[in-house]
Amino acid sequence: MNNGSDPLIRLSSVTKVFLTDEVETHALSGIHLDIRPGEYMSIAGPSGCGKTTLLSILGLLDTPSDGSYSLKGHEVANLSFADRARIRNREIGFIFQSFNLIGDLTVFENVELPLTYRGMAASERKSFVTEALDRVGMAHRAKHLPSQLSGGQQQRVAVARALAGRPAILLADEPTGNLDSRNGEAVMQLLKELHENGATICMVTHDERFAQHADRTVHLFDGRVVEDRMAA
Amino acid sequence: MFGGFLQDLRYGARMLLKSPTYTAIAIAALALSIGANTAVFSAVNTLLLRPLPLKDLDRLVFSVALREGFDPFGSSLLEFEAYRQRNHSFESIGVAMQRSFNLIGRGEPERIRGALIMADYLTTLGVNPILGRSLTLEEDQPGGPAVAMMGYGLWQKHFGGDTRVIGEKLNLEGRSYTVIGVMPPGFDLPEAAEIWLPLQTKIDSLPLTDRAVPGYEVVAKLRPGVSLRQADAESKSIARQLEQEFPQVRRGWGVKLIWLRQELLGDLAGRVNKALVALIGGVGFLLLICCANVANLQLARGFARTRELALRRALGASRSRLIRQLLTESMLLALLGGAAGLVLAHWIVPLLAAINPIQGISLAGFFHNFRIDSRVLAFALLVTLATGVIFGLLPALKGAGEREVMPSLKQGDQHSASAPGHGWLNVLIVSEIAIAMTLLVAGGLIARSFNRLQHVDLGFKSDNLLTVKMILPASKYSEYRQRIAFVDQVLERVKILPGVLSAGTTTNIPLEREIAYDSVFSVEGRPPVNPNDVPITSHRLVSPDYLKTLGVTLIKGRLIDETDRAGKPPVVVISEELAREAWPGEDPLGKRIKRVRPNQDFLWMTVVGVVKDVKEDLFNYRINRPVWYVPYAQLENNFPVNLVVRTSSDPARVIAAVREAIHAVDPDQPVSNVMTMNENLAGVLVTERFSAILMNALGASGLLLAALGLYGVMAYSVSQRTAEIGVRVALGAQRIHVLQLILSQGAKLTLLGVVIGVAAAWALTRLLGGLLFEVNATDPATFLSISLLLVSIALIACFLPARRALSVDPVIALRAE
Repeated sequence: MNNGSDPLIRLSSVTKVFLTDEVETHALSGIHLDIRPGEYMSIAGPSGCGKTTLLSILGLLDTPSDGSYSLKGHEVANLSFADRARIRNREIGFIFQSFNLIGDLTVFENVELPLTYRGMAASERKSFVTEALDRVGMAHRAKHLPSQLSGGQQQRVAVARALAGRPAILLADEPTGNLDSRNGEAVMQLLKELHENGATICMVTHDERFAQHADRTVHLFDGRVVEDRMAA
Repeated sequence: MFGGFLQDLRYGARMLLKSPTYTAIAIAALALSIGANTAVFSAVNTLLLRPLPLKDLDRLVFSVALREGFDPFGSSLLEFEAYRQRNHSFESIGVAMQRSFNLIGRGEPERIRGALIMADYLTTLGVNPILGRSLTLEEDQPGGPAVAMMGYGLWQKHFGGDTRVIGEKLNLEGRSYTVIGVMPPGFDLPEAAEIWLPLQTKIDSLPLTDRAVPGYEVVAKLRPGVSLRQADAESKSIARQLEQEFPQVRRGWGVKLIWLRQELLGDLAGRVNKALVALIGGVGFLLLICCANVANLQLARGFARTRELALRRALGASRSRLIRQLLTESMLLALLGGAAGLVLAHWIVPLLAAINPIQGISLAGFFHNFRIDSRVLAFALLVTLATGVIFGLLPALKGAGEREVMPSLKQGDQHSASAPGHGWLNVLIVSEIAIAMTLLVAGGLIARSFNRLQHVDLGFKSDNLLTVKMILPASKYSEYRQRIAFVDQVLERVKILPGVLSAGTTTNIPLEREIAYDSVFSVEGRPPVNPNDVPITSHRLVSPDYLKTLGVTLIKGRLIDETDRAGKPPVVVISEELAREAWPGEDPLGKRIKRVRPNQDFLWMTVVGVVKDVKEDLFNYRINRPVWYVPYAQLENNFPVNLVVRTSSDPARVIAAVREAIHAVDPDQPVSNVMTMNENLAGVLVTERFSAILMNALGASGLLLAALGLYGVMAYSVSQRTAEIGVRVALGAQRIHVLQLILSQGAKLTLLGVVIGVAAAWALTRLLGGLLFEVNATDPATFLSISLLLVSIALIACFLPARRALSVDPVIALRAE
């Protein structure tokens, strides 16, 4: 597991407790996790085990109730909304199960969106977007609306959007969940290629077939890491 | 069928109860607009539609004499006689002359408004006495008997409604009159008359100059089938004939026929009609905003019910059945809103009555009695039903539309990251903003105009002034020196009263609702360039100290003073406007001017002073007219004497003392119209005040509804875009980006609405031209300020949903996916 380099992400004793109707639910309990640059890791486990909560914390969409989270050596567990948004925008790329493309924006505009929030100049944005779309093979559909694309194509655009800002890590939440097996396989192939080209990927999936694409699989159960193994 | 309707009704009621907030907002919006419509219609109904105690009112017309550049005059007997002999448009014609009388011998002397009438006057109006009889032709001959007809109120007041009043005697101006009839309750034409005496004039035998005096009220009944326009054209033709036949007295005179109802409203310029039409337009616009608003709510709710409607369709409900069900819900909502609107109107109507726009004083019992009668109720019901159809139809068609319903079942609970298009919501909200913009601009222009009118320089100081009218009876004051002595003695006593700073008399109080006296004038050594040009000035006969008391500004020379007595060289003080007309570019001081009347010779008067223009005439409020002030002692007249008193504090405090001072000089002298100058002025701008208050209330209501509508659409949009906002936040959007996203959506809709509204207002406010004073119908400042106001309010309305968007938790939003 330790390949010798400093971890890109380090979680130490991370817990997440939800309070619902005065009932405490421990979604995560004492998670220790290092993710190193260039790793392709999958998080697996049954429904309700805390996979998505862990991904939300990794993606700075949520904050841990306790424990520390360091990204590139900086503690990020308790940053302000604005700082978390800034880091999310620059360091993290999200790929969602249901693509979450914005229907009123074209493919190009969807991919451009995170760069717009970064305040990047238009010419630079164009070059970043074009490169990202090229990488996923969707440059020819740049002017289309999401509704004019198939599910597989929409997810490729979502991957391009995640890649466009050249983030430190890609977080993928069940990226094949809304796709048929053929398109699901194609997207997994795309992620594999990205990994081979150096991308760090953390993917949540409950599908063992797709989990096997990753170099390393972390198994969660009841909010705890019960297994952390490298692919053979 | 009926069972189905009841089922729809029950289900509709249940749906409304299920969403109490939505239902309450919709009912409140409907109540506001239906209530406003009903209340304004009650004013229209009272002023323009409701029957008056006059027969064949829709055929009764009133003749107005006109001179170019002047306010309308009453008619002359010359015109009346010419109409009677040559006009083919009239079935009958009558004439009356407003006259006040001192009633003596029945308690304290009392000034009573009355009229001298020809017998045809009452028959033309179709009014008969409820007791006794009307005038006979024999009684209306010169030297005829002294008979009188009493008004119902006067009969009740002085005879307690005793039917034995017929044959009783009344002492008017020292002469005894026999009561021959009592008029029906409420009838008081002309000019709030309470007593009617025969005119007893043989017109042909009068001198031409007397026949040409424009002080009569001529009413006529059109023949069936004759239009006002036809009758007006014929009357104008007769006026031209008179001008050719009697150029010495008719040069430059024309006539105009108006509906009697319009005259009774005191609306010779037609402003009340225009104001009411503008207000009807205004409430109509408010109703449209409301319909768009409720339709938007219905549409948004319809989207939320898409699955329910799809299920009904899947279970076999036809499209028409679904439309019927949705329309039943809309109608139920409209009826609830209409009922609440009626309650609201019940509160608003008395407020409207309190700011009644009319200047007429006749038939006050009818014109001031704004109420919700059966016609208003029918109107309210009609508006309610129409509203229900207007706001319900689009949501019903959309909700029950085949294309919209069936795919929704297939889609199940799938969501997308952005809100569905729902273009209709945007179309409706843009329409609302555009209409609100138009309403607000109209209200803004009218308010600005009213503000200008209120701040018109009157030329005098109206605060702390008391006015009292006195008519000196000719029987008692037969010699002019007696009138002068009376005036002198009253002023002497009033000036020394505690709290009185100064006092004076005039023959007309500025801007009073009475006959205002004018005079033709001639300038020494300067005959008119154009023979058709007959120069006229407002003619005021004033005591020393009157101008000082009124607070006019002396430009040059001096005011009338104690030295300007009878027998002294005649002098005159003129207004700037008269100076401009008579001696353009010259100093008028020392120059001479005189009054002109056919067959009479007046002395030249030397101009001793020039004062700033004073708004003397009600109908010339919007322009300056020439005025001259002649010493009361130097020109014999039998005009009313108006006492004007300037006080150090509230003028009402000296009323009793002033009355006492007058009665100390002459115990039998009636006084009337005792009021402060500001009370008198309050009646001047009633139409404008009415329009300004109502149009701005409508504008504010429109703005409120549009803001609510925008808020609703934006709130709905935020709720639909929760997932999208979550995605944007996940991608690194800062709070400012989310705020911008929502505000820019609202701003786009608002700006589009404002642009369309500006264009619509640009086109429509031109129709307000006749109601505006010193304000252009396309006044850029008004357009700009209203646009800014609307955009500001709209942004506030968008800000609340935008704040809610800020609180979207991306984790929850994305989990919901």
